[in-house]
Amino acid sequence: MKTAKLTDSEYLVKAGKIIRARQMTKIEKLFEISLPGGESLDHEPGQFVMVSIPGVGEAPLSISSSPTKRGSFEIVVRNVGKVTNALHKFDTGDTVGIRGPFGKGFPVQILEGNDLLFVAGGLGIVPLRSLINFVIDNRRDFGKVNILLGCKTPQDMLFGEEVDSWSKRLDVNFDITVDRCEDPDYNGNIGLITKLIPGVTLDPERTFAAVIGPPIMYKFVIIELLKKNIPERQILVSLERHMKCGIGKCGHCQIQNYYCCKDGPVFTYDQIKDKKEAL
Amino acid sequence: MSKPRVAFFDFTCCEGCQLQVANFGETLLDILNLIEVVTFREAMSEKSEDYDVAIIEGSITTEHDVERIKHIRSRAKVLVAYGSCATIGGINGMKNKFPLDEIGKYVYQDKAKHFPTLPTRAVHQVVKVDYFVNGCPVYQPEFVKVLKCILAGIPYAVPDYAVCVECKLNENVCMYDKGITCLGPVTKAGCNSWCINNGNICYGCRGMVTNPAKNGQMDILKKFNIALDWIINKLDMYNKPRELDERK
Amino acid sequence: MQYQVLKKSSFNDFIASLARIEKVVAPVARGYNTFSFQEVKDGQDVAVKYIPTILPPKKYFFPQREKLIEFNKSAGTLEALLEYEKMVIFGVHTCDLAGIQCLNMVFSDKPKDINYLVRKNKIIIIGLECNEYCDQYASCKVVDNHLPNGGYDLFFTELTDSFIVHVNTIYGDELIDKTRLFNPAEQIHLDQLEAVRQKKREIFKDEVKVNHNDLAKLFDKSFDSKVWDDLDARCIACGNCTNVCPSCYCFDMLDNLNLDLNTGDRTRMWDGCQNEPFAKVAGGENFRKTRGARQRHRYFRKFKYPVERYSRYFCTGCGRCTRTCMAKISLKETINALVDSKEEKK
Ligand SMILES: Cc1cc2nc3c(=O)[nH]c(=O)nc-3n(C[C@H](O)[C@H](O)[C@H](O)COP(=O)(O)OP(=O)(O)OC[C@H]3O[C@@H](n4cnc5c(N)ncnc54)[C@H](O)[C@@H]3O)c2cc1C
Ligand code: SF4
Ligand code: SF4
Ligand code: FES
Repeated sequence: MKTAKLTDSEYLVKAGKIIRARQMTKIEKLFEISLPGGESLDHEPGQFVMVSIPGVGEAPLSISSSPTKRGSFEIVVRNVGKVTNALHKFDTGDTVGIRGPFGKGFPVQILEGNDLLFVAGGLGIVPLRSLINFVIDNRRDFGKVNILLGCKTPQDMLFGEEVDSWSKRLDVNFDITVDRCEDPDYNGNIGLITKLIPGVTLDPERTFAAVIGPPIMYKFVIIELLKKNIPERQILVSLERHMKCGIGKCGHCQIQNYYCCKDGPVFTYDQIKDKKEAL
Repeated sequence: MSKPRVAFFDFTCCEGCQLQVANFGETLLDILNLIEVVTFREAMSEKSEDYDVAIIEGSITTEHDVERIKHIRSRAKVLVAYGSCATIGGINGMKNKFPLDEIGKYVYQDKAKHFPTLPTRAVHQVVKVDYFVNGCPVYQPEFVKVLKCILAGIPYAVPDYAVCVECKLNENVCMYDKGITCLGPVTKAGCNSWCINNGNICYGCRGMVTNPAKNGQMDILKKFNIALDWIINKLDMYNKPRELDERK
Repeated sequence: MQYQVLKKSSFNDFIASLARIEKVVAPVARGYNTFSFQEVKDGQDVAVKYIPTILPPKKYFFPQREKLIEFNKSAGTLEALLEYEKMVIFGVHTCDLAGIQCLNMVFSDKPKDINYLVRKNKIIIIGLECNEYCDQYASCKVVDNHLPNGGYDLFFTELTDSFIVHVNTIYGDELIDKTRLFNPAEQIHLDQLEAVRQKKREIFKDEVKVNHNDLAKLFDKSFDSKVWDDLDARCIACGNCTNVCPSCYCFDMLDNLNLDLNTGDRTRMWDGCQNEPFAKVAGGENFRKTRGARQRHRYFRKFKYPVERYSRYFCTGCGRCTRTCMAKISLKETINALVDSKEEKK
């Protein structure tokens, strides 16, 4: 058996330096990462990277920052298992392996000039934030912008300050709801995110909806969006699957004939509505 | 990091798994570079001693065992169930097939009342277990893998698919092609199909996969003309205490 | 290129002289009517008449376990590597040639898999024709793999007392030159070859109740078939079918740490969609939870999805999944059941 060094392997990783780490909640931690020589990640909103620790493994993680933020990018990691747990022990100055960006993100060129409705539930804010900030940074290129957010309790809301700043903008319509709240002083919405949709006034023909949340959220949100007459190909969702390679080979992420990692993770509802096993 | 202190504890078992450790040869020296082994016969009497990693052999079969394992758990940072007896109840579990007092009478005759006994339980059925090293005896390379995970502070997941997967990767001639029944299809992988590689059948010592296909299995038994009793006996040889998990 | 002839009496010498030039692997009998590709030194070791091996020759192109990355944490280094071995594979049936062609498509699809592509070019392939069906499980005709469709350097067909050999590449030609045992084929050999092929056209018939072109259409309508419920009840998810399949290429990625807790590697290992944890995601959702859904996925990945992506069936007709199945689930029976139940929907 002979061994040769490969310089063009898809599995090579870049050394990502953690330049900022912040514990956001008990189980979610944010990392800001820069690549060697200040190289830009050059991603589209909605894409993901494979983040790895030698000896532990790799995990697909959404890029949470907008491509308009140069020189570094952000990820948010929920601690659920082997790799994510090990990542939580990492801090500023540590190095992680980065492959990517991978997948098809949001079609920003197509979105230009149109009205937008963002719907994020739970951890869905992490990838959607990339597109929201992209749109806000290029605000005049888009029509009306609506942001609807949902999470379990007010304490679970990620990016509190940033969300606050969105809510205060005059060029953005904003609403938020929580599943439950024990705090008697809380006077916001309580209930599922689906309840916020009927109240939004929009022109369905020129509205694109971008939806990201836990699997069960999609079905119900999409029903509400269809009731608003938003065309199926203007509803964009991002799907999560088990991913090992990120490049359309290992088969883990397959949704019928789609590779979620390569053909997605962002799909139009039109693409997947007839695919059983998709939603 | 200073070397973690590792202690072995025996419960109800044959101590065969510990022998496996002694058989390591060269790897043993490498391992001893990484850990410090401290052993105690009896945990309660050594209250002042401390250890980081407790490796538990054997299943829990008496009230005394229960007290002792709880005590060990309270002192250990990491607790490892080691071998079939500890991970799945193992051979000791066979006694769960009979009413307890009958076993007592059978083993200790009229002195049975002095030896109170409980249904055999695997360690995780009594206290929280951090790492599982399945097998009777354990498969050395897997134990080394688990040790490395412990030292690196990462979890180890026992594969939850059939031994057949590894057996196929090793391109063995399937026992069923030889007309011999093998428990590979229902047993958790992780042993690199060690027994079959060496010409033996899989005895199911690693325990069953979490979601075995009951109907499918019955079908197969019928097709290969295998009596159900026979296979249940084989399975129970190691797997009897699994019922305690199912009831939970 | 041209045809050459090797006398059967020279076959042992041929393998022996090949083995002096390069490592040679070929089908070897393992008993109980099973075979596997293994290293051979002499023609006597080779089972010229064999039914598809336990594992297909895929294992040489895409090994069961393959190191992709090596790292050294304290030195902060991480390198991609390729482990390879030059070899000649003798005796690859047309179904397995097709299997290698499937893998070629997948791994050269962008982004390319350099490990696979470099390794594949270190291997010389010598095909071997099946003059008749291997056994009742083969279904190579309906997927059009019963006759050679390229993918080899040399291709052997057994005639009465010789092998006629199609020379397809200069690498094959070099072996002919180096071993010095071949003569150019004469008309009589070509006639005999045509006779073999003619007979094959008679023996090999579509093995299922649907023809080559309609097979893909059958799957267009079969997603909700009751047939999957039947497989759900029978399959035990042992994963044998996907592990022995020449066109399955799913894998897992595993990190290994050496005992120094500093150096280690990232390895890919064969994985399969029948295994319970394959499609589970964090949060516990499993998108193909039932064995029936996973079986359906397996069939669709052979007869529908690759047709859309690569315009070819990924079932090679080798019959391995049927031969190895614990539950005796038969590919031919499943397809026929789908044909029979086409009209009924749940
Ligand atoms: C496109 C995409 C974007 C994602 N973005 C984020 C993100 O921004 N933030 C975040 O916290 N999480 C994200 N995830 C989920 C994250 O990838 C998984 O939580 C992570 O891979 C689990 O790895 P682990 O080693 O910690 O868990 P493990 O210990 O390996 O397993 C824990 C659980 O996670 C499942 N799992 C294991 N590997 C994967 C995998 N590769 N993909 C999905 N599930 C897996 C297992 O089946 C098990 O149920 C994303 C997943 C995808 C596919
Ligand atoms: S020998 Fe046993 S473990 Fe191996 S494939 Fe056959 S049944 Fe499975
Ligand atoms: S070989 Fe048979 S029993 Fe095993 S996973 Fe495949 S179809 Fe199911
Ligand atoms: S993650 Fe490997 S194919 Fe999509």
